[in-house]
This record gives sequence, structure tokens and C-alpha cells, in this order.
Amino acid sequence: MGDRRSTETTEQGSKERGSTDRPVELLQGTLDMLILKAASLGPEHGYGLLLRIEALSRSLLQVPQGSVYPALYRLEHQGLLTSEWGRSENRRKAKFYRLTAAGERRLHAETSHWERLSGAIGHVLAATPQEL
Amino acid sequence: MWHRLRSWLRALVFRSRFEREMREEMERHLALRERDLVAEGHPREEARRRARLDFGPLEATQEECREARGLRWSDELVRNTRLAFRQLRRSPIFALTAIATLGLCIGANTAVFSVVDAVLLRPLPYPEPDRLAVVATVREPAGDSLPWISQDGASWELLRDHATRSHLAVYSGWGSEVSFSAPGWVEIVRQQRVGAGFFEVLGVEPRVGRGFDPEEDRPGGPAVTVLSHHLWQRAFSGEPRILGEKILLRGEPHTIVGILPADFVSDAEADLWTPLRASVDGEGSGTNYGILCRPHRGVSMAEAEAEIEALGRLRYARSEAENEPPNEPESELGWRLVPLQEATISGVRRSLLLMWASVAAVLLIGCVNLAGLLLARSATRGRELSTRLALGGGAGAILRQLLTETLVLALGGALAGLVVARVALSILQSWIRGTLGLWQSVHLDGRALAFTLALTLLTALLFGLFPALRTLRWTRLRPALSGHGGTADVSHRWPQRLLVVGEVALVAVLLVGAGLLVRTLTHLTHLPAGFGTDNLLTAHASLQDARYKERDPIVRLFDRSLERIRRLPGVELAAVGLNLPYQRGLNFPFRQPGGSSTGERPSITVLTYVTPGYIEALDIPLLRGRPLSGSDGPDAARVILVNQTFAETYFNATQANVTQADATWADENRSEDVDAADAIGRFLEVAGQDREIVGIVGDVQQKPSWGDYGPLATMPTVYVPVHQTSDEFLSLVHTWFAPHWIVRSSGSPLGLPEAIRQAIAETDSLLPVSPFAAPADLRARALAPQRLQARLSTLFAGVALLLAAVGIYGLVSHLVTERTPELSVRLALGASRPQTVREAAQPGLVLAVVGVVLGGALALPFTRALQHFLWGIRPNDPLTFAAVGLGLLAVAGVASLVPALRVLRLDPAAVLRQE
Repeated sequence: MGDRRSTETTEQGSKERGSTDRPVELLQGTLDMLILKAASLGPEHGYGLLLRIEALSRSLLQVPQGSVYPALYRLEHQGLLTSEWGRSENRRKAKFYRLTAAGERRLHAETSHWERLSGAIGHVLAATPQEL
Repeated sequence: MWHRLRSWLRALVFRSRFEREMREEMERHLALRERDLVAEGHPREEARRRARLDFGPLEATQEECREARGLRWSDELVRNTRLAFRQLRRSPIFALTAIATLGLCIGANTAVFSVVDAVLLRPLPYPEPDRLAVVATVREPAGDSLPWISQDGASWELLRDHATRSHLAVYSGWGSEVSFSAPGWVEIVRQQRVGAGFFEVLGVEPRVGRGFDPEEDRPGGPAVTVLSHHLWQRAFSGEPRILGEKILLRGEPHTIVGILPADFVSDAEADLWTPLRASVDGEGSGTNYGILCRPHRGVSMAEAEAEIEALGRLRYARSEAENEPPNEPESELGWRLVPLQEATISGVRRSLLLMWASVAAVLLIGCVNLAGLLLARSATRGRELSTRLALGGGAGAILRQLLTETLVLALGGALAGLVVARVALSILQSWIRGTLGLWQSVHLDGRALAFTLALTLLTALLFGLFPALRTLRWTRLRPALSGHGGTADVSHRWPQRLLVVGEVALVAVLLVGAGLLVRTLTHLTHLPAGFGTDNLLTAHASLQDARYKERDPIVRLFDRSLERIRRLPGVELAAVGLNLPYQRGLNFPFRQPGGSSTGERPSITVLTYVTPGYIEALDIPLLRGRPLSGSDGPDAARVILVNQTFAETYFNATQANVTQADATWADENRSEDVDAADAIGRFLEVAGQDREIVGIVGDVQQKPSWGDYGPLATMPTVYVPVHQTSDEFLSLVHTWFAPHWIVRSSGSPLGLPEAIRQAIAETDSLLPVSPFAAPADLRARALAPQRLQARLSTLFAGVALLLAAVGIYGLVSHLVTERTPELSVRLALGASRPQTVREAAQPGLVLAVVGVVLGGALALPFTRALQHFLWGIRPNDPLTFAAVGLGLLAVAGVASLVPALRVLRLDPAAVLRQE
């Protein structure tokens, strides 16, 4: 799971969302995990997954549009997602992605890894001089 | 992993759909984004623009998606392949040369590999073949002669009765041609005699019926036979109720008790089998049997061999007066188990390996040639490749492109090679089958194809990698976008020069080898025959027949048929003998009765029975005494003729150490002042009777059957009148040999062979007489392996020479092109044309000289390895080396001169103006 380009924020996006917090940068390699999670909530097309991630992150994350599709194709190639053409809201054709069993397992593994990692980092960062 | 493969394949196969869907998906995305932006209040046009901008570069994203599906590298491969084809189309001569060279080399190697694989590498077609062995007699400490795998009857009985750890079976290695007749089918077939349990030991289950019982395998047992599948199909059309049917073999009825499976093959190449009935006397008194051995289940080969060794000590401890391998001091003999595969191939292994090494050398030379050609081309591609580098292609991409070109060439060569291999294999098979006795089935199968593929990849790497790397290096170093580089820097051609030197050296080695083998053949062919070879016809007929079990009918047959033949017009002399010159003769033990220092132990000589007039008919010189005549009849005193070699070896009165003489013959032991007349009047005990030596005749060339004397040599030989032999002797020798009729005519009258055949048929119409052969044919048969080797090595050396010439031509040609400005300057400054031509051709010659010298040095150890195949010539024969060196230089000279002649057409003014 790797995304070569790290995602970045755009000033404009944050202004338009009207949020007070500055959107954060996405760490490398986490885009795949987020996409899997987004897909786990229900079959959706690429644009929809993008919106889903942004919404779930309360607009703190804004994924560059172009990087979604290489990630989706990669995940499908690895067998973690499967796709099929269906009809979107306005009755137009769109390609919907769904999580596979293997994808679920991967998501689970990545999630627990992430939790452990962030917990550990959190401990380090929360250290006070007294704990030394 | 499989999922990725399937996903990739799907995208590849349905590529247009993939592309279309990808495009549609992204357009959908953009449309949705646009819609959302419009919903937020942006004007439509701006929304569209913003959507596109936010998405990022469309093409780059699509490229990433393609890479995600694994399509990038396959796209690159396809692109490189297309480029490679285009490159090759632009230089068709180069492409054709390369593919032809590769086709020839790869094809020849595949063909030879198929043969080597079938004979040497593949296990024998029996169950657990690594547990099959033959009992062999060896010398301790290990001598250098091959283990002797023939045993006598006493050895067989000892083993049969006492070996508990293995399953043993006895067989005769002699196959013979006999007449076979079934209802409605008559044929001459090949028969092998085997003991009871033979097929079980091999592990072959008869398809119908069984092998032989011990009851059938004893003297006096019922006449039974086992047929091969193919004979059953031919003679009985595969009639299923075949068991119990009777057929006639040599005129005697035999009952069929078994049919072997269709895929059964053995080196005897027999059509049917009959019981051997091994005994300790007659055939069993000599070493005429083979003993097959398979350890019982659960017993290891080492354990089985230990038992055999122990029995061998028993056997040789008691053999004071018994037969053993000829002329070896008995105290150091023992038994070993030799794996069956090794026993069947030992004779041909060296020849096959020699062939393989030669053809591999040709391939190497071919690769060297191609590498040189590619290197030469690379100079002309500098501009194209530099441009690619400058545009950011990356060194890796260029390397991949160059290697793809190499691979395309190699695959083209492989396809051509398969066609060549097909043709080469059938030619090779027909050549080898007659000479090296190839009985295994050989064809281009999966293994051969796999070998071809592996070889192709290897050659591609060999001839492509180095030039590719070198091209890359030049491309990077040179600022090639400006002109073509000024004066040629010849130093950068050193890899190509090195390759040419290597090529020439290898060719020199091959040529020396071929030269030596050809001279061996010439030497052997021109050995003095020892008899008159003109206007001589010979034919043989098998007397292994119920009607010829006794001497009288045999002698009557000979006398009457000869009488008729002598009356034919044009016939001068006629006779019958058991063996002819140029053939392998009958080995027979004899003793010198009375106080000879050889003691009780018998010696071995070649023995032939003859009708009176044999010596005269063959025109063998009579040196002393008298020839055999009609008066040497069955009731007269027993007489015998010996040849010069025999007389000198056994009757040199001054020789104290005659045992040593047993082991050295002819040239090794000949001395001019021996008085061989000592032999006349002496007696020899042969076949149970004392016979007086009444004459000494000249030597003839024969095929030695013991020792290491080469394919043709003069062996000690004795001639016995057929009228003075016994029934037992005749029926014994006729199990192995068929007597030959010899007819000398005046001139070669037409229709004589037919007339002779008729004359014999009038005496006995049922006798199958073979086709006629002249002495030249007999000699050709004896020298067939040598001729094969000479032919093949010359062929390979010739091809290699051609390749080397092409290589030199190519190098000099490119050098001339590069040096055009320099040479033009020389011409302009007043050098003469011939001088300049010489100057241009010089590099080729210099390299050739270096290569020849190097090759000469390399050839020395190589020819020493060749020693086993050489007769009558030293491995480092200076004449051969010199001839090869000069010839090679001459060819190199021509190959260098032809491209250099272009200098004659140079217009110095025009060239210099261009610079």
C-alpha cells in the first residue's frame, strides 16, 4: 500500500468549507487504508469515495482528486476491491467499488497497526520531563 | 499473486475496453465534480475548468493507473519489440545473417543434444533402472582397460546357485539373423537368446503370456519363443489368441509363450527371444554370456555388489586351468557390478561427447560472431540512442531496448533452429545408427524444446549483453549529437578484435581436430589389406539351421555350391570361409602341446575354418610351406595354417618371455630377424585335436576383438580346413557367425552376383543368402565409426571456418568504413592504392595470426584428449598443425582482402571535402 505522492491541503478548499481548523497532510501510504475503509461502508464510485473520506474526516482531509484512481486500480489489482459498472444517482453509468473479503482482512490489519502505531507515537509525544 | 496475473491478463486482452472504461470513469468523475461546483454557485464554464485543474494532469494519472494494473512493463516490452523489428527491417542483411547463423548453431546443438540425451542422459526404459547392473570382470588394482562383461557358463552356475541378495538372469549379447515363418508370413528376423527370468529381472511384464521357465531353459527343453509386439503385429496382425501358436524358426517349430509390450526396447534390437540354455561346455566354455543383476527389494546395490565380489574371489581362486578374459594374468581378477546403463553406452560415450563438444564450440563461435556484428552496428546507432538518453529515457530503458532486440534475434534464430534441428536430427540418426549402434528412440520432444529455449536465452545473453553494455557506455560518453566523431578511434574496437582472435583460435582447434581425424581415417583406409581386393565378391548365409547341425551336410553344401560356382563364366576362384578380412573373427583358445613355456594355460587366437582354395581365392601370399588342399580331408592328418603374426609371436625360439608376447602383437613385437620358419612342423592343440602347422601365410587386416589395437589391425590367425572340424565345433560357431562365400572373377561380368546366388540356390533353395559385398564394403563397415567422426568433425570445422571468415570480413569492413577519412588522407598524400589496400586489410590478418598462434597452443591439450580416436598419427602431428595454420591464414587473408578492396573505389578528394 503506497501512494507515491503525499496528499496536500489546499487553502481554497479549507476556506470554502469554512472550517476553523487547517486541513492536515495525509501521511504517505495511508490513502489506501482510507479508501478501503470508505469502501467498507458500502459500494461507491471513485468520486463518492473521495467525498466520503472528506466527510468522515470532518473536512480535515482533502485528498487530491487525481491520486484516488491509481490507488483504486492498485487495490483492485491486488484483489482487495472489486468493481462493477452500475447506475449512479442521476441514472448515469459509473464504476462502483466494493470491499472484498481479502480487503476486509487487510483493512482490519492496517487499522490495528495504525492504532498501535499512533498510540505508541502518542505516548512518546505526551512524555513530560518527569517521566524520564 | 494469481489474482494479479489474472487482473493483468484481463487488462491486456481486453485492452481497448480497459482504456475506454478508464476514460469514462474519469470523465464521470469530472462531470460529478463539475456538478457539485455548479451547485455551490460557480458558473458552468468556471466549474468545468476548476474540476479539470483540481483533478490534475489527466494523462499522467491514466499512466499511473496503467502501471497499477501492471501494464507498463508489458507495454514497454511490446514497444521495444516493435522497435526491434523495425531496426531489423532496416538492415535485412544483418538480420538474415544473424538468424541464419543462430539457426544453424542452435539447430545443430539441439539435434546433437537429442541424441546425447537419448543415449547418455535419459535413464534406461526399465523400472528402477539404477538398480540394474551386469556382472563384470575387472583387474585389481584397477586397470585401464574396460571391464569385461562377458562371463562363462561356470561363472553363471556359480552365481545362480549362490547369489542370494540379487535376482540374476543370463543372456547372450549376440543377436543373430534367422529365418522366421508363420502361417502366411516369412521374414528374416533378429533373434536374441536369453535365460529364464530375464524379463523379470529387467522389470518388463509381458503383455501376453510370460517369459521362460527354468524347465524350458535347460538343454533338451521344449522349443519356445517370446515375440516382440511389432513382430506379433506384422506376422499375426495382433491376433489375441496367440499363446500356444507355433512358428518355424530356422526350420524348427517353436511354441509362442509370450508377447512383450509395445514400448519395449533393448540394445539387442531383437524381434524375438528363445531360451539360452546356458551350460558349462560348448558355448559356455568361453566367455559368451552376459549376466544381468537386480538386487532384491530392500537390498542396496552395495550389499549386492559385496556378495558378487565375494563370489568372484571364489571363482578366480579356483580357476587354475579354466578360461578367463584373454591373456591376462589370472591372480588379480575379480567381479564387480557395472550399472547397465554404463555397460550399454561405454563404447559410444566418448564419441558422443566429442560430437557435443564440437558442436558447442561451433555455437560459441557463432555467438562470438554475432557479438562482433552487434558491436559493429552499435557505432552507427550512436545518434539515435544518444537522443533517447537526452530525452530522459534512462539508461535502464535503453538497455532493455537493446536486450529486447537481442532477444528478438535469438528467438528468430531459435525458430530457424528448430527447422534445422529437424533436418539435422534425421541425418544424424541415419549416420549414427549404422555406426555407433543407436537403438534408443530419438526425436525432438519436450526436453529438446526446453533445451532449445534455454540455449536460446543463453546465447542471447552471451552475444547480446556485452555489446549492449558497451553501446550504452559509448552512448553516454560521446557527445554524439555532433557529427560522427572525427577520426576513427580504433582503440575502442578492441572488444571486437578480441572476439575475432578468440573465434580464430577456436576454429583452429576444431580444424586441427578434424584434420587429425581425417588423417586417421586415411591411414586406416590405406593399411595394406594383405589380400587381393580386386574383382572379389562375398556373401554370407546363416547355417543356424536344423539341417546343418553336423559337419557332413555342411561340407556337402560347400563343396556342391562351390562346384557350381566355379563353372560359371568369368569365375576364376571360389571358396568358403567362416570369416573374412576386415571383420571381427572368432576368438578361440588353443594350446601348444609339449614343453612350451606358456604352460597349461590356453592362449587365444583368431580362428577361421576354410575350404581348400580360400587362401588362393583371397590371394593371400603364402610365405612358407604349403596351402591347404583337397587331400586334407576328414580322414587325413590334421593340419592347420597360421599367419605371420601368429608365427612370430609364438614361435620365436629366442624369446624367453613368451607370456609377455601374448599381450603384444604385430608392430609391437615384430622383429626382422625372427625365423618364423620355426613354426612349420610344430603342433597346435585346437578344438580338441593336435594339428600340424604346414604353412605360414601373410597377414590380413581384421577387426580386433580384444585389446586396444584400433578399428583395424593384424591379429594372430589360424586357418583350419572345414573338413577336419567336428559337428560340435561347427554348430557352436554357427550360433555366432555365418560362413562367407568368396568368388574371384576376371573383370566384373554383369549378372555374376545373380548367377552365384542361383548356383547356391540350386544346391539349397531354402538358404537365405545375404547381399553381396566387395572388400571395399567390408572395410567401410569396419571403419564406419571413424568415417562418421571424420565427417562430422569436418562438417563442424567447416561451418566454424565459414563463421570466422564472416566475422573477419565484418570487422575489416567496418574498420574500412571508419577509417575512410584516414585512408583517404593517405591516398591524397601519395600512397599507392595497393599499399593502401594492404594497409586496410592488415588488421584482419594480424588478428588472424594471433588467433592461429593462440589456437595452436589451445589445440595441444585438446588433441591429447582426442588420442583415443587417433590411429597411425601423433596427436601433435606437425604437418596437420602447419596445414591448418596456413589454411586458416589463407582464408583470413581473403576475408580481409575483399572488404579492403573498397579502398580502390575511394575518391579521396570527395571524402576530404566532406570532413
